Amino acid sequence: MNAEVPASIRERLSAAGVAERDILHVVSSDLRLDGRFGEDWAVATSDSLHIVTAGGIDSLALDRIGPVQVESLVSGGLLTAGPESSRPDDSDQDSANGESANGESADGDSARREANERLLLRFSNSRTRQFGAFAGAVAALQKGDDAPAAEAPREQTCPTCGLRYPDQERAVCPRCIDKRGLFVRVLGYLRPYRRLAAVVAVTMLAATALKTVTPLLSGRVLFDDVLAPAGRFHGRVLEVVLLIVAVHAAGVAAQMLYQRLNARMSVHMVYDLKSQIFTALQRLSLGFFARKQTGGLMVRVNHDSTNLNMFFIDGLPSFAVNLVQIVAMVAVMVAMQPGLALLLLLLPAPAVVLIVKRLFPKLWRLFGRQHRSFAILNGVVDDSLSGVRVVKAFGQEQQEIERFTPANDEVRGAELRTQRTLAMLFPSVAFLTQIGGLIVWAAGGWQVIGGSLTLGVLITFATYSALLYEPMRFMTMVVEFWSMAMNSAHRIFEVVDAVPEVAERSDPVALPHLHGAVELRGVTFAYEPNKPVLHDIDLTVAAGEVLGLVGHTGAGKSTLINLITRLYDTDSGRVLIDGIDVRDLRTADLRRQVGIILQDPYLFDGTVAENLAYGRPDATRAQIVAAAKAAFAHDFITRLPDGYDTRVGPRGHGLSGGERQRLSIARAVLIDPRILILDEATSSVDSETEEMIQLALERLIRGRTTIAIAHRLSTLRMAHRLAVLEKGRLVEQGTHDELEASGGIYATLVRKQRDALDVIGIGAQR
Amino acid sequence: MNDRRDGEDRAEAAAEKRRRAHRTRVLNAAELELERSSGGFVTLTVRGEEPERYERINAFRSFPLSAADRYISLRDREGDEIGIVESLEDLAPAQAALLRDELDRRYFTPLIQRVESLKEEFGYSYWTVDTDAGRRRFTVQSGKNNVTMVGAGRLVIVDVDGNRFEVPDYTRLDRSVLRTLEGLL
Repeated sequence: MNAEVPASIRERLSAAGVAERDILHVVSSDLRLDGRFGEDWAVATSDSLHIVTAGGIDSLALDRIGPVQVESLVSGGLLTAGPESSRPDDSDQDSANGESANGESADGDSARREANERLLLRFSNSRTRQFGAFAGAVAALQKGDDAPAAEAPREQTCPTCGLRYPDQERAVCPRCIDKRGLFVRVLGYLRPYRRLAAVVAVTMLAATALKTVTPLLSGRVLFDDVLAPAGRFHGRVLEVVLLIVAVHAAGVAAQMLYQRLNARMSVHMVYDLKSQIFTALQRLSLGFFARKQTGGLMVRVNHDSTNLNMFFIDGLPSFAVNLVQIVAMVAVMVAMQPGLALLLLLLPAPAVVLIVKRLFPKLWRLFGRQHRSFAILNGVVDDSLSGVRVVKAFGQEQQEIERFTPANDEVRGAELRTQRTLAMLFPSVAFLTQIGGLIVWAAGGWQVIGGSLTLGVLITFATYSALLYEPMRFMTMVVEFWSMAMNSAHRIFEVVDAVPEVAERSDPVALPHLHGAVELRGVTFAYEPNKPVLHDIDLTVAAGEVLGLVGHTGAGKSTLINLITRLYDTDSGRVLIDGIDVRDLRTADLRRQVGIILQDPYLFDGTVAENLAYGRPDATRAQIVAAAKAAFAHDFITRLPDGYDTRVGPRGHGLSGGERQRLSIARAVLIDPRILILDEATSSVDSETEEMIQLALERLIRGRTTIAIAHRLSTLRMAHRLAVLEKGRLVEQGTHDELEASGGIYATLVRKQRDALDVIGIGAQR
Repeated sequence: MNDRRDGEDRAEAAAEKRRRAHRTRVLNAAELELERSSGGFVTLTVRGEEPERYERINAFRSFPLSAADRYISLRDREGDEIGIVESLEDLAPAQAALLRDELDRRYFTPLIQRVESLKEEFGYSYWTVDTDAGRRRFTVQSGKNNVTMVGAGRLVIVDVDGNRFEVPDYTRLDRSVLRTLEGLL
């Protein structure tokens, strides 16, 4: 690690008495304290911290400064040493007293240590990870933890070209990815269709060969051998014309056949690829989805496989066809007349370069602008129509029209410019290519008159000159096409290859019948490094017990549940079910016996019955109805016109929040879980509905270990015991009465709810 | 027993804080005294009948893009709002400068004075720029609204790490840069 420190810094450090061998942790910033880009350093030894800036070295004894920590700002962060005597995790509580507006508890002691709070270094967001690791390591030294901290993450750069990886979570250099390796792997998907692929290749070659031969027949053979008086087949016009037609027809037939076969092959291949991506996605842990935006994933599945599809249907065959065509035509021409062949090859080159480098980019820009303006217009329309209730309610129709007008103007402008350019561009392009042909006619015609060239060869050449333009243009774009396809392939393989973080052990413990005892021992968890959401939680829930989880938003309640259901694994500490670590349990056993009722239950596109049976697809109709009855859902379901066959979900019948919740309860009833997780909605439903939900829950909970994130008093009352989470720590535990009497956080929450109920005139249920 | 008292105090303090959170408290600029603390942070004293002293405050812009100097929210270490300064101009110049330094640190957004090179490939754009904070190279993911227009000619750019940059007037950039830029908007 010390090797990272440049010699100049090392010298300055040793001049200040810091021996290189004592250096344990190092971090460099990219932003100076004065707000200019530049490098400052922080170096930690076992007992001191040295801040190396342009202004000098500031040496601080670790036991004389407060805990070293990172503070995040908008576009960067600060490395700071906190108030001396507070630990980083509960500094807010200490300072709550020290800083209360009344100032009563701001005694001399707290004033002294606050003066000690200091700013050490400043960095941009590019160094957040490095500083996070450094601060963690130094804080560990301050606490006296000997455990070697994880090495600071280095900036990820491409070893080949030195480019900083654009996405630091993804060690991929867009410039240097192994495109050939990727290509070989993509070709691997062709393996099941290799016989078809062989046929495609053969028909493609045949079509290209026939296409190349046609000008030869209609030019040289027709004019020199048939029409010329000295020709070998002089006068046999009909036969030759029929031959030309036949060859042409065969060529077209071969082309049709090959395109059809090719389309079939690539469609199958992309189908395989898509299924594989989707299967891979289903297998991955929740953490993967939390990191990557779901939208991005959809793009990956659809856009990238379409890209590959295009590449295989269009790109790769076109490349092969064009290459073969160019080679064949050039070979034929060189064989007939090398000089003219050279002229013909060189002539279209400037035109092609001009078109590809200048005109087409301009056209793409215009199309891009048109596309964007259209997207913006669509956005305005969509936004306005989706929010039509709000528009009407605020009476802002005129404002919406005013929002629409500039976007519409923009579209009109872009469209006009594009059409104007199109009207100019294609005739010019045609003219340019025709000039190339005309020059061939001129040069060749002069040679024909001179007698060094036959008319037939000239006509063949002229035809080739028109045919060559397209393949040559294509060849100039092939690199771009290829890069795009391989980048898509890479993103796809990234999903396919991703290893689930939460994986089943190779020899998991089977536990088909859980008792349902849950225990957490010293559980700590962070979604992002250095930002723990749960600290050192110890919690026991006996089999059959109902535990209520209470706490403010963001206290870590949902995270706790994610760990018990093993959607994530703990960073340290263990989650035990019936005394067995969940990481050792067979995942299927765990999932089947742990039921979750979510705040806003997601209903899939399907019927009510299908949604109820989601966790148990083999449930009989009788079981489904029984579950719905138990959840007080049967009555409203049967009142629906289509009853249990009513389509619900994103595109189906709209159900109210209370109805959805009861469906969710019924869904849990049906799988008959040993452990029930309840994530109660904060949003209120009307009291009658609430009562029904309550009854349904009470019935469901009976005899099961239940862990409920609860907000409503009525739910809390069902709990045998309550656990209060505050900022990731378990701060209170006990029965409702005990906690209410203790006057802590829970008591405040309860009082607040009662007050609220009193205010709106509902007698609090005592 | 002690625990219980602590709990009550804490709950009481929290309730008091919530009550205050509902009202906007506009700070009287004449009553404010801002100082740089020895540790490099800002200390605030609100003079008045009941003087208040905060050893360390953090300053936030309510409208970082459209009105950077107005409605500055001053918060204590816990993140609770002490009050709002309606305009930096109301403060004495030295005090305003101190607060502006603090704000510029939080909302660090170098102004791009010149784009030396801008290249777009494979879904990322690579920038090399001169800013008022020095030279910098950064990478921006294309699409996803990472380059957005805020007001006439002003662009805010967010790079892959979440760093912000601002182009005060993009019409003054080179034509070739503009052309690439257009594809990123």
